[in-house]
Amino acid sequence: ALRRQRVEVSVELRKARKDEQILKRRNVSFGLRDTAASLGEDKGNESVQLSMEEIVEALNGSNTELQLQATQAARRMLSRQKDPPISQIIELGIVPRLVEFLSYADRAPLQFEAAWALTNIASGTSEHTKAVVEEGAIPAFISLLSSPHMHISEQAVWALGNIAGDGPLYRDALISCNVVPSLLALVSPATPVGFLRNITWTLSNLCRNKNPYPPLDAVRKILPVLICLMQHEDRDIISDSCWAVSYLTDGSNDRIQIVVDTGILPRLVEIMASLELIVMTPALRAIGNVVTGTDEQTQAAIDAGVLAVLPCLLRHAKPTIQKEAAWTLSNIAAGPSQQIQQLITCGLLPPLVELLEKGDFKAQKEAVWAVANFTTGGTVEQVVELIQSGVLKPLLNLLLVKDSKTILVILDTISNLFTAAEKLGETERLCLLVEELDGLEKIEALQTHDNNMVYIAALNIIEKYFSEDNPDLQPGTGRDGLFDFSVKKQDFNF
Amino acid sequence: MELSDANLQTLTEYLKKTLDPDPAIRRPAEKFLESVEGNQNYPLLLLTLLEKSQENVIKVCASVTFKNYIKRNWRIVEDELNKICDSDRIAIKANIVPLMLSSPEQIQKQLSDAISIIGREDFPQKWPDLLTEMVNRFQSGDFHVINGVLRTAHSLFKRYRHEFKSNELWTEIKLVLDAFALPLTNLFKATIELCSTHANDVSALKVLFSSLILIAKLFYSLNFQDLPEFFEDNMETWMTNFHTLLTLDNKLLQTDDEEEAGLLELLKSQICDNAALYAQKYDEEFQPYLPRFVTAIWNLLVTTGQEVKYDLLVSNAIQFLASVCERQHYKHLFEDQNTLTSICEKVIVPNMEFRAADEEAFEDNSEEYIRRDLEGSDIDTRRRAACDLVRGLCKFFEGPVTGIFSGYVNSMLQEYAKNPSVNWKHKDAAIYLVTSLASKAQTQKHGITQANELVNLTEFFVNHIQPDLKSASVNEFPVLKADGIKYIMIFRNQVPKEQLLLSIPLLINHLQAESIVVHTYAAHALERLFTMRGTDNTTLITAAELGPFVEVLLTNLFKALTLPGSSENEYIMKAIMRTFSLLQGSIIPYIPSVISQLTQKLLAVSKNPSKPHFNHYMFESICLSIRITCKANPDAVGSFEEALFMVFTEILQNDVQEFIPYVFQVMSLLLEMHKNEIPTSYMALFPHLLQPVLWERTGNIPPLVRLLQAYLERGANTIASAAADKIPGLLGVFQKLIASKANDHQGFYLLNSIIEHMPSESVDQYRKQIFILLFQRLQNSKTTKFIKSFLVFINLYCIKYGALALQEIFDSIQPKMFGMVLEKIIIPEIQKVSGQVEKKVCAVGITKILTECPPMMDTDYTKLWTPLLQALIGLFELPEDDTIPDEEHFIDIEDTPGYQTAFSQLAFAGKKEHDPVGQMVNNPRIHLAQSLHKLSTACPGRVPSMLSTSLNAEALQYLQGYLQAASVTLL
Repeated sequence: ALRRQRVEVSVELRKARKDEQILKRRNVSFGLRDTAASLGEDKGNESVQLSMEEIVEALNGSNTELQLQATQAARRMLSRQKDPPISQIIELGIVPRLVEFLSYADRAPLQFEAAWALTNIASGTSEHTKAVVEEGAIPAFISLLSSPHMHISEQAVWALGNIAGDGPLYRDALISCNVVPSLLALVSPATPVGFLRNITWTLSNLCRNKNPYPPLDAVRKILPVLICLMQHEDRDIISDSCWAVSYLTDGSNDRIQIVVDTGILPRLVEIMASLELIVMTPALRAIGNVVTGTDEQTQAAIDAGVLAVLPCLLRHAKPTIQKEAAWTLSNIAAGPSQQIQQLITCGLLPPLVELLEKGDFKAQKEAVWAVANFTTGGTVEQVVELIQSGVLKPLLNLLLVKDSKTILVILDTISNLFTAAEKLGETERLCLLVEELDGLEKIEALQTHDNNMVYIAALNIIEKYFSEDNPDLQPGTGRDGLFDFSVKKQDFNF
Repeated sequence: MELSDANLQTLTEYLKKTLDPDPAIRRPAEKFLESVEGNQNYPLLLLTLLEKSQENVIKVCASVTFKNYIKRNWRIVEDELNKICDSDRIAIKANIVPLMLSSPEQIQKQLSDAISIIGREDFPQKWPDLLTEMVNRFQSGDFHVINGVLRTAHSLFKRYRHEFKSNELWTEIKLVLDAFALPLTNLFKATIELCSTHANDVSALKVLFSSLILIAKLFYSLNFQDLPEFFEDNMETWMTNFHTLLTLDNKLLQTDDEEEAGLLELLKSQICDNAALYAQKYDEEFQPYLPRFVTAIWNLLVTTGQEVKYDLLVSNAIQFLASVCERQHYKHLFEDQNTLTSICEKVIVPNMEFRAADEEAFEDNSEEYIRRDLEGSDIDTRRRAACDLVRGLCKFFEGPVTGIFSGYVNSMLQEYAKNPSVNWKHKDAAIYLVTSLASKAQTQKHGITQANELVNLTEFFVNHIQPDLKSASVNEFPVLKADGIKYIMIFRNQVPKEQLLLSIPLLINHLQAESIVVHTYAAHALERLFTMRGTDNTTLITAAELGPFVEVLLTNLFKALTLPGSSENEYIMKAIMRTFSLLQGSIIPYIPSVISQLTQKLLAVSKNPSKPHFNHYMFESICLSIRITCKANPDAVGSFEEALFMVFTEILQNDVQEFIPYVFQVMSLLLEMHKNEIPTSYMALFPHLLQPVLWERTGNIPPLVRLLQAYLERGANTIASAAADKIPGLLGVFQKLIASKANDHQGFYLLNSIIEHMPSESVDQYRKQIFILLFQRLQNSKTTKFIKSFLVFINLYCIKYGALALQEIFDSIQPKMFGMVLEKIIIPEIQKVSGQVEKKVCAVGITKILTECPPMMDTDYTKLWTPLLQALIGLFELPEDDTIPDEEHFIDIEDTPGYQTAFSQLAFAGKKEHDPVGQMVNNPRIHLAQSLHKLSTACPGRVPSMLSTSLNAEALQYLQGYLQAASVTLL
């Protein structure tokens, strides 16, 4: 059996998944009151309304008070809830000036407003992020991490998170500018929760994306901190640190090994068992990724207790959780027969059959893979146990599904079942069972399926098991018109 | 080839000739066209003709020729010549779309097919402008053109419904979505608007609805692989409009045709498919829309008429509701008492009504009616769909639904009681409703296996079913009679036995009904009652309980076969078989009359066998007559041979293929009844049985092997003396069978009989050859089945000819062969042997090898002695297979093993199991102990030392047990 990685095709027809962690975030002002006002940076509540032209003029001018007002005005526009004018602001050509303000260490309010404005510009499309990075914002933000003002440092963390979230290129640019040590230095028992949330999120973006993976030494530095963060009591912090680990495990086996070596799997399984979607989702994804690895890595996840948690997740009300759990199970079922045995012992067969019967379609597809892998790697006794758990009926019913690949996988599974039945001398009983469960009529109908491989697979099963030579042993006909009994001798070696 | 008028003229003439009915003119013209099609410009000449020819027939002919040309030549096969030059390819792709769109429909269809063939190869990479070209036409406002585009798009995109997910495919779909999804959505909206502007213009509406059907089909293709972002974002538009269309009615679009579905029905059916696709695959996203569709679909059901043309739409729509209502998170949509009541009242009850079409089928096409009603081949019918909906609703709402329906049942029964002859259909619906409500699970074999506990089935039976069946006339209200009989049949496990016994005379009486359905159901119900199990694996209804009815039962069954339309009624014949089997000795007095009726029937149907089940049960009944009679009086076999051989000869001479396997089985049964040497009448047939043509038909193989075995058992000496020249032919049959994985076990049956029964001097010269053949199969294609049979055979050989003879013949084929077979086959595989007799044969054979084969004691083979003993002990101590009880009475055709040969295997011609070592060895364990003792006496000290060196402790313990039981010790 083959372990299947998370992504099978690189093209997507669907919308980006709603339960994914967010890549970039804008710092939005909620309500009428300005969040900055509460920080006491604004004088009173009077906000100055400036036009775009006035902003450009003030920023480029030398009046410091006007510079602050203009920066604030720009930030405010970028922070409004609907349709922030990011592109228009960039077109004004003020980004270089805003980046410059970041270095005005003696003018903290201006630094803060500029950092916020730039954070929100970087939260847009790749083009928007690029506009910020190309003006040299990376080193400027990194040095702001050690600003004596916590709210400035926090805003810099946020901005860097948006830049890292753009993709592997900027992520690595940040890492090569040594962002990691400065970020990690901010984590301490005294760090306020809100701040810690931002740091965790930015760290997770530094772990995110493949092609290429993040550099190894950076990962090695970040991981121990993530492990600590995962013990935190705040669920957002747990969630984002789990997301980070899920990115680190979404790759080749040596990447998975680094995570396994930290001994974090039991904690991940514990989080996976939590009822809160926000933390359970990334933990499940991380564990799901781990079991795409080697047999030993999968065993580590089993030893951490994943099999005890899966039944509940397979029965979860949310279809994506069902699906993710079934995918995880399918990869465990792709392991050696000892692991399959553990899967049986831990009672995974009943929820698997239930899922096949009435799960969400996405989850049913994964459940079919789980059964297919099971029948490929399982012993004959294990396959018998699978059949006894009632898998055949829902499996055969799914031959009516509207997805050719799933149908093909089911047909392959049926072939595997027959191979096991042959070993037991129970082929005829299986034939009967398949027929009783209306499977035969469905397989027969698939012989007219439009997909060629489906048609051939169905035909093979029918020909091999439902109809039935050794051409070289066939006798000829003698002169009396009867079969001729004769054979040429060869050398035998059994 | 120039694009010249002269060439156009020539081509026109040849095309015209290809339409000529005279093959002498047509064929050369076709050949000519094929010979010139490789020339440049040929396809362009065809396109010119189909556009500009003066004659319509040439236009059409050119378009068909063009499409076939594209089909044969467009694909570029690697390493093969490119059959269409590149400039022609470019020109075709540049012109074909506008040409297709401006052509009349007949030609448009051909060109549209050609486009999709080209598209399959070239789209999208090598035909990048195709999509834009098509999309641009949506603006034309000309729906003739638009429908052309839509049809082409449909033929290009429909493969998305069956292809596997792949990067390539999804990239193409993404490209199509980017270019096509928005224009299609706009076209969809515009078309719907046009439908309301042209609401009074029939011809415009027809074109517009054709477009809508195609658009709905395209929607299905584009949404099949996964839910595209675009369609998720625009779900509101699509689903709202689909929803509106479902609720739409337009008098102008209603067709007069009662059978053929019209445009409205086709569109709504496709919308139901689209909704079902979303409900199955994209449940999460579709959830907000689903309730509206449920309501719309059920309103649709409420307002749709009873005509046959709506059947598919109605059953699709009901099935949609049935699949939704049993899902936990949609339960609430149905929960409300008013909703449930209205579904029951307006959807379920009306669709359960006995319609005029059903009445017609009941009377004029009863075979089809029975097939649908009894055997469940009613997948697409309204009644089946309504039944499925009842079952779906009962999952969550069994109590309320039962309550609602009880009210209906009562009022329908009251209606019936007021005026039965007018209102009998009400009672039919009431019975159907009770049936579908009460049955939760059902199998062909056992009837209802799980029933709704809220329905009192016995009370309904006594009050409403029995009275109908007791009525004086068996021909009155035939539909209700059939309903009542079916009720007994399917609820036989729920109704108490005393009620069933009371029903038996009523059922026997109804075998005389004129209605085919009624007497067929009566026969079937009796047959099913006779197969019910009581305690101790016996029948529920005993022969004694049937005593008073034997004569009338047999009389009515055979008389029913004379009723019009039932001369080959399989249900009646099966009931006859089951009656014989149940009554056993009680039928003997009637046998002379029965066997003459059966022979006449056999003679009549052998002229043209058309009902395989009927024929099968007829032969089973003949076998039963023979067995039951000969059991009491073995000498009666002669009278059966007298009665049957004339018909059998005729069947064999006329080569009635369907019956030959049966004849062989009946002959085997008769031959085995003989106690003495084989009669000469059988010997005359022997050479014919070896004819290769008989062995080419798979259905003949098992019965022929069986028959040859009977010949060998009863007449081996006669064959050796009178037919010795046929022995190679006999072995040739064995070789033929052993060559086939499917039939090798049959070959072994034959070989075992030959070895066991033939005098050894007759087979001596062939023995080595036999083994070479078996070794060859073992080497080239061994299967578990083959190995099992092989092991049984060599041990049987060992028993018959001795262990030394076995070792000598193996080693004469190849040095060390015996050791290799022991080590590689016998020792590792012997545990696989199953079956009591088979295991015993192997045990006795191996014991002989261990104790009566000197080379096992003093050659290289000695090292295999203990492993072989250990394997033998393993064979003894494996859990025994359960012995099979006498299940024959209950056997159904479906139970008999094998797939293709299922129809030929007669259960009641069954062979008793034969134990070749039965008299020689009673207990093989004791036999092993005694043999070892004998061996140890011959060479004292050796046996205990071999045991102590390498036999494992557990095996040793077992062995000591055997020695103790045999009261022997080893020296």
